[in-house]
Order: sequence, then C-alpha cells, then structure tokens
Amino acid sequence: MFAYVVRRLLQLIPTFFGATLLAFLVIQLAPGDFVTRLELDPTQDRESIANLRQQLGLDQPLPVQYAKWLSGILQGYLGLSLSYKTDVWNVIGQRILNSMVLVVLATLMIYLIAIPIGVYSAIRKYTWPDRTFTVLAFLGLAIPNFFFGLIMLFLAVWLNDLTDMRILPIGGMTTEFIHLGNLTRAAQLLFPFALLGTLVFAGLFWQRSRRGQAATFGIWVGLVLFGMSTLLMLAPLLQGPGLPERLPYTESPLWARATNVLWHAFPVVIVVGTSGLAGLMRVMRGQMLDVLSQDYIRTARAKGLSERVVIYKHALRNAVIPFIAGIGGLLPGLIGGAGLVEVTMAWPGITPALLEAISAIDIYVIMGLITITTVLLMIGNVVSDLLLAWVDPRIRYS
Amino acid sequence: MLRRVQRNTAPKANRSFFQQAWIRFKRHPLARLGAAVLLVFYLGALFADFLAPYPEEKSFRDFSFASPTRIFWRDENGRLTRPYVCASERRRNLETFKVEVITDCEKGRYPIYFFVKGEPYRFLGLIPTDLRLMGGPWLLEDKAKLFLWGTDDFGRDIWGRIWYGARISLTIGIFAVALALVIGIFMGSISGYYAGRPVTFSIGILNPQFWAFIRGSPWYTHLMAALGLVLIAALLFAMGYGYQNFIRPDLQRVSTLALGALGLVVGLVLLGVILYALVWKSHLARALLWLSAWAGIAWLLWITVWGFWQSSRGLEAIIAGLIGAVLLGAIGYVLLWPRIELDLDTIIMRTVEVLAAIPDLFLLIILSVLIPMEVPPAVRFVLVVTILSFVNWGGLARIIRSQVLQLREMEFAQAAQALGAGDARVIIRHVLPGTYTYLIVAVTLAIPGFILGESGLSFLGLGIQEPATSWGLMLSKAQATGITAFTERPWLLIPGLFILLAVLAYNFLGDGLRDALDPRTKV
Repeated sequence: MFAYVVRRLLQLIPTFFGATLLAFLVIQLAPGDFVTRLELDPTQDRESIANLRQQLGLDQPLPVQYAKWLSGILQGYLGLSLSYKTDVWNVIGQRILNSMVLVVLATLMIYLIAIPIGVYSAIRKYTWPDRTFTVLAFLGLAIPNFFFGLIMLFLAVWLNDLTDMRILPIGGMTTEFIHLGNLTRAAQLLFPFALLGTLVFAGLFWQRSRRGQAATFGIWVGLVLFGMSTLLMLAPLLQGPGLPERLPYTESPLWARATNVLWHAFPVVIVVGTSGLAGLMRVMRGQMLDVLSQDYIRTARAKGLSERVVIYKHALRNAVIPFIAGIGGLLPGLIGGAGLVEVTMAWPGITPALLEAISAIDIYVIMGLITITTVLLMIGNVVSDLLLAWVDPRIRYS
Repeated sequence: MLRRVQRNTAPKANRSFFQQAWIRFKRHPLARLGAAVLLVFYLGALFADFLAPYPEEKSFRDFSFASPTRIFWRDENGRLTRPYVCASERRRNLETFKVEVITDCEKGRYPIYFFVKGEPYRFLGLIPTDLRLMGGPWLLEDKAKLFLWGTDDFGRDIWGRIWYGARISLTIGIFAVALALVIGIFMGSISGYYAGRPVTFSIGILNPQFWAFIRGSPWYTHLMAALGLVLIAALLFAMGYGYQNFIRPDLQRVSTLALGALGLVVGLVLLGVILYALVWKSHLARALLWLSAWAGIAWLLWITVWGFWQSSRGLEAIIAGLIGAVLLGAIGYVLLWPRIELDLDTIIMRTVEVLAAIPDLFLLIILSVLIPMEVPPAVRFVLVVTILSFVNWGGLARIIRSQVLQLREMEFAQAAQALGAGDARVIIRHVLPGTYTYLIVAVTLAIPGFILGESGLSFLGLGIQEPATSWGLMLSKAQATGITAFTERPWLLIPGLFILLAVLAYNFLGDGLRDALDPRTKV
C-alpha cells in the first residue's frame, strides 16, 4: 500500500510538467502578447515598447520563459500579473476561493440528495416515484448547465416581479448593501421554529439511543439541519438589534456577509450540482440494485433480519463504496463544470477571471489559474484512488 | 405432484447478430423516441432553407427582439379561416412609452400559404429553387412579417435560424467524434497492442549494438535514403513556396483554404510514404535522423539553460546551472552508451493523462483563442471541430486500448501472428473489428458531450461566430441583452431547449444501442 501511494504521487510530477508545458505553449502560440496592444497606440514609440517587453521578460525565447515561470512555481511564486502589476495570487486567490464555495456546497448537495434518492429508487424500483426520478435524472444529465442557469435567472426575475420582493438573487455573489434589519427580523421570526425542530429531533435521537437503537438517516439529517440553522441564527439574534438598518457589504458583520453569499450561492449551486446529482443518483441506484441481488443479502433476509437492517447495514454500506472514492473526483470535476454557470450567473469565480485574463493576454494570470485547477484536479484524482484503496479491502494494488 | 413443464420448442430462425440487435433495439421505446427526434432534427437541418421563411442572414433592424408574430385563425366574424397574420409596425406605445411591435389587422390581413414561392436559394448548395414551407406573396413584398418564434437582436427570424443553426450544432458533434475516433483508434490500438512489449527507442553510439544495427541494412538502401531525403527537402520547399505564393495572399476565400488543406494533407501523406518507403529501410539514415533529433533537444535545452542562467542571479542561477548541467550530461550519456527501450503504451497513456489533467473547459478556452479572428465561418467550423476532438480523444483511446488489450490475447489474434501477419495487419484486420459494437455505443454516448462543448464555447463567444449560426451562439443572445430585459423575451431561450432535446435524444439512443448490442441479452 505504501509503495502504491508513493508511486501514485511520483506519477503526478511528469503529469504536472506536461500539463503546464502544454498550457504554456498553447497560450504563447496565440497571436500577440500583452504589449501588442500598445503597438497600435501612436503615442508610444518603438523603443519604449521594446523596453517594456524586455522589462516584462516577453522578449526571451519560449523555453526560457517557461523555465523562469517554473522556477517561480517551485518557489511558490505564481508570477507577476501584467495588467494588475501585482503578484498573480492577489488577483486570482479570491476568485479561486469563490469557486471553491460553489464546488464545496454543490458536493454537499449532491451527496446529501443523491444517496437517499438512489437508495429509495433501488428499493422501490419501477414504482412511479422511481420512474419520476429516472426521468428527472435523464433531464438533469442532458440539460446544458448554462441553459439551466439562464432558466434559473429567468425564474428569479419572474418570481421577484410577481411577488415584488427579492426572493431569489439575480446573478452576482454579493449585494452592495445588506439589509441587516430584515435579516434580524427574519431570524427573530424563525428562531423559535428552528429551536423547536432541533429539540424534537434531539428528543427522537435520545429516545432511540436509550432503547439501544441507532438513529435513522432522517433523524440525523433533521438534527443537523435544524441544529445548524439554530446556531446560525444566534449571531443575528444577539448582535442584530444593535446594528443599523442597512450597511455596505464590506462593513457588515461576518454572519451577514455569509448569509448574503449563501443566498446568492443557492440557485447557482443547484444549477452547478444538477448534472452530478443526476449522474450519481443513477449510479447509486445501479449499485444498490447490484448489491441487493447478491447472495449474502438473501442469506441476511433468510436468517430473519429486518428489512431495515438488511438495507442499511448489509446493502448500503457495500453500495456506497464507489461514492466515498468519488468525492475526490467530484470536487475538481465541478470546478470545470461550474465554469459556464459562473459566466451565466455572474459569479466571480475562476472561469470569468480566465476569460478576462485571456482578453488582456495576461499570461501569468492564465497560467496561474490553469495550474491551480490542474493541481486541484490531480490531487482530487489521487485522493479518490487512495480512498478507494483504503475503503475497499477487496481492491489490492501490487 | 409433478407437473410436466410445457417447453416452447418451436424452432427459432437463425438470426445474425445485427438482426438480433435490431430486434432488441426496437423493443426499447425511449431509444426509438430518441432516434425519431434525431431524425426530425437532421431532416430539419437538411431542409432548413425550405422550413425557414427567410434566408439565413436576412435581418430586419426595425424588428429587433420582436415577439412571435400572432397567427390568427378566425376572421373578423369569428369564423374559422385559413391562418393569417396581420400587418405590423414598430412604434412607441403611448401608454407604456416602450417601443413595441404593434399588430394592426385593420391595415391588412395576409393569409399564410404552404409550399409557396419564397426567396430563391440553392438546396444543398447545388440545386437552385425557391420553394419554401410557409409564406405568400406578401412575405416577398415585405408587407407583413412572419416570425414564428420571434426575432433576435438583429431582427432575424429565430424559427428559421434554429434550423440553419442545427446544421452546425448537430453536425459538429459527428465530425468531432469522427476525428477524435480516428486519433483515438490510432493511439489506443498502438497503446493496447504494444503494452508490455517495449520498443527499442535509442542505442548509444559507443554501444556495439549500434554498429550492428547500422550494418544491418545493405548499402543500396543508403542511396535510396539519400534520394528520399532530397525528395523530402524538395517537398517541404514546394509546400512552403506554395503556401507563401498561392495560399497566404488569398486566405479569406474558402476555396483557397480548402486547396491549402488538401495540399497539406497530400504533402504529409507523401512525406510519410517517402519516409517509410525510402528512408526507413536504411539504418544509417535512421541513426542520422535520430542523432539530429537528439541534437535538436540538446540545443533547445542549451538555449533554455543559458537564457535562464543569464537572467537570474544568486542561488537560483547556481541551481539552474546545476540542473542544466545534469540534463545535458544525461543527454550526452544517452547519446553515448545505453540501449533504451520504451513502452509505447506508457508514453501514450501519460499523454492522455496530461490532457486529462487540465480541466476540459479551460483547455477548450485557451485552444479556441488560437483560432484567428478573421477566418471564414467554414474554417472556423473545422478548427472548432479540431480542438473539440483534440481535447476529447483521450477517453476514446482509453476505451479502445482496454478492448485491444483483451482481444490481442485471443486465440485468433495469436494465430494470425503465428501465421506471420504483420503488426498493422493483426491490429486492423483481426483486433479492431472486435471493438466495433463497443465503439458504436461509446461514440453515440460521446456525441452529446461534443454538442455541449460546442454550444458552451459558442455561448462564450469563442466557438462559432457571426454570421454563422449555432444554437449556443443564439442562446448567448438571451444574456447579452441584460438580465432585467430577460423576462420580456423568453423566446430567446428556445435554442437552449433544442440543445437539451438533441442531447437527451442522443443519450436515449446510446442507452438503447448499448442494450441492443449487448449479446448477453436474449432476443
């Protein structure tokens, strides 16, 4: 196992070099460079342009430029953004974080929804809910996510016009001003219900554990959801009444900013996660059906175990193995998939930054974005391989 | 009590594999639906000129974002009549103060006729005709408009452009998959066939095997190789000369470009033929080519190290110098002594991994920047196809490799080898045919990915561009007008619906084919 891990990690090195070299070559082969635009400017003379090019190191041969960039990367320096005249990380760091918000939330959504639905569809196969889910899964896999994003925006505009309230956000990640008063009042209104829900589920949990039974999946979900929302509402309840009615985004307290971003992320995450959700739902259903037709399931039923135990203990735990391994593959897969949605719904993530950098021919920003997503993707693949080897004792690597 | 089981022993007709597959396919309702939808779409794309009332680029600037033309079924007395449209004009609505297209039936009613004379076009680019599905004399005289699904920002009919766009959106997937398949089959079959059978890659000059290798070919082959090298030089010169003098001055014309592409292909094929037939036979020439390749690599490395060393200082310069020295030393060592055997499989699969390491969308985006801005639409189409297949051949190559790995161990492949068939013959005649059924399914399921890739690129404005049309490009108009104006023109979303339907249909078809071509399911 140790040898496998080491070999798998060593394989990443040539892949990394190859991928960055390919990206660098493609970017440099594109016509023109950062300074080209200045050449069209009649106020600039040739000499100063040549000087600038030399200053930025754009006059050196391609392999030297690549080696320079590579040596910077190995020292943890992504290079200089030509248009912003600052470290590339300052330009792209926030963008990558923004995209990661989407990706992490989408992953959570996919797992929380796909597994229960997949299991349900497998147990009740060929019933009408199963057929509905199948149709939805086909639609979810086929819909281009940028089209879905447009439909979501359409829905948001329509809903907001209809109710004359801002129910869904219309693009973007933050609003300029946050209505703290509204948030506080909403928290005051909803807090009793959240607390009640938490208490109910905690009671159920306690009751079952006193009888020596494990809590069901539903109880877990309820407890976590209600508990989380109760905790999240504490901050506005305590702090909110003392704050002004509305504040600029940058001056608002953390909880208000987080709420704002989450509210904006909600429709985007749904759009980003849909195709992954549809795919995993189908895989989960197939896996579960596979496992349920195994001999040991029949044995478990024959020895009189309850259907619950058969399904949750014997079947689900085996069926869910590829999913645990899939986490690593899903994260980076979503980075690329979120791209078009980010453009459509104006989420300031990686892809809009890439498009901006490309139109400015800011090569080191482009390289930085591609390198970081490539590294994330490679790490994700390795993690999923290792998880698979770790979770499933039947898989052995020589 | 025992009961006799009634066996159904009626003799079954012997059916070939594909007959059985066809029977299985017909039982799959969704697959039939998918096939039917695709048939309608492709026929629509073929007869786009017939379906559309207006030519592709016809625009009515006054009618930008006009809503779908209302079609009336009842005359002024409320009786059913032949469908007709009314005269419309663009003016300011005095109640809302918005500029609107206002329909006024008092100014004229124009019945819609079917199979009528419209603006002339050439069917399939060849047969001149003017038959169109809908319209009437009023349409040609421009007395009233017929926009079934509204218009876009330039006032172009969306219903017609959907079908014109289908030509690109629906064929791009097929062309791209075909190209990716060619690359994938080539790479995948080499990779699978030679997996675990390393090929000698280089032998050092001082190694006795090197001299044995050179002496392994008779003297006259060297003469042929010399002739071949001269021919190659002449060929390269001719290609360069032709490009400079005939192709480059006239790059805007499609015919010139096609000629250039044809010349390039013919030149490359000739190059390959000369290389294989004349040069490759001579081991001396091979060794010289190999040496010059190494010299090129060493030269590149030298430039890099030298340039780097000059423009850096301190520890960095020292480390760079050391690394450069080590690399150059390694090249020198390889050149001098060892015999290196490489697994082609490893190289190809590493390449696939490198391509897969960069997120597809980003690779597509940076590659699409390489397409020059001023090329004609036909060339842009070809280039978009090329980059789509360049990004996506890896998956197909992996599939083919795994199949070839299994098949090459089969008795029939072993037998063919034992009978003395060459590698190429074994791969092409014996191994690849075994992968066909598998490939048909893989290809059908890959096409929607290409369609989505193209529409995504065009949506970003990096793929197909005006004046050509594709569904992704049309969909981008929905957003270009700003989000608030969005709910007022929902018809701009229709192209997205068509992408969705096409992808869905291909997925259904692929699922059906997978079940149909699986020999384990019973008929």
